[in-house]
Amino acid sequence: MQQTQSFEQELTLLRERLQEAEEMHRAISDGEVDAFVVGPGGNTRVLLLANAYQRYRQLVERMQQGAITATPQGQILFANQRFADMLGTPISQLYTAPLESYVGIGDRARLSSFLMLSTRDSHVEVELGRRDGTSIPVRFSIVSFADGYATVLVTDLRPMQWPSLAVDALDSIRNSLEKLNHLGSDAAARDALRDISEEINGLARMIDQMLDVEAIGRPRK
Amino acid sequence: MNPAAEKWELRLYTAGQSPKSLAALSNLKRVCEEHLAGRYSIEVIDLLKNPRLAKDDQIVAIPTLVRKLPEPLRKLVGDLSDTERTLVGLQLKPRQ
Repeated sequence: MQQTQSFEQELTLLRERLQEAEEMHRAISDGEVDAFVVGPGGNTRVLLLANAYQRYRQLVERMQQGAITATPQGQILFANQRFADMLGTPISQLYTAPLESYVGIGDRARLSSFLMLSTRDSHVEVELGRRDGTSIPVRFSIVSFADGYATVLVTDLRPMQWPSLAVDALDSIRNSLEKLNHLGSDAAARDALRDISEEINGLARMIDQMLDVEAIGRPRK
Repeated sequence: MNPAAEKWELRLYTAGQSPKSLAALSNLKRVCEEHLAGRYSIEVIDLLKNPRLAKDDQIVAIPTLVRKLPEPLRKLVGDLSDTERTLVGLQLKPRQ
């Protein structure tokens, strides 16, 4: 009698487990799942199917900040279009390229230790060398540091510097214009006007640069 | 206990905001509001944030819904897009 009860309980349990297995098989076959839990006890991970990444990938591809994933040795595994635009380099040339080759020589040691020793939320500011020979100040911020790979956000620091630079430039032009009223000779006035003209040109170049950075990252037509 | 007054505790295992996870949560909320209004709670567990929690309910595929209460425990795998199957799986409707 007791043995019969035990068999019945076991049978019920096995039926439930079979039903669960069949339900899972159906859901997978019908495309109703997009992730799996894999790995033994302490090393459990979630494996996302390719299409589950798509939305995040689009976000990363289109966002206004640069994004890269690099090995501890600084080799670029992934870069988004915005980062390629910052460098003025085709994105295809960035994959597997050493990140340090795009960073000023004086910043390379700091970049190297940043990639190896970083902890979450840490950041480092470096000069990024552009293909055209110019450079731009950027901030590298660690987003995640897993399996030895660092995922880093790259922020162009120029827009943050512009308000104070523009105010300084305007103050300087205003001062020069005031001095112009008190000059005694035509020659001195001509020199002062030339200086003012250069200052205005400098401000115009700054505005051009601002517009150029604003344009980077916009969807291509 | 009166079945109409039973408290339902549901746990939905998701993988961040993956499309199927979002669909499952949306479908689950709709079913609950239509059939269990005022007497259910949904706990969402994001396994991307903490994969080890999968062990508690032996989760293999995501999304998976676990009915903790009323007992017995029931598991539904998938995005819950088939309302009939979801209702039967939750035992809110008899199997045909």
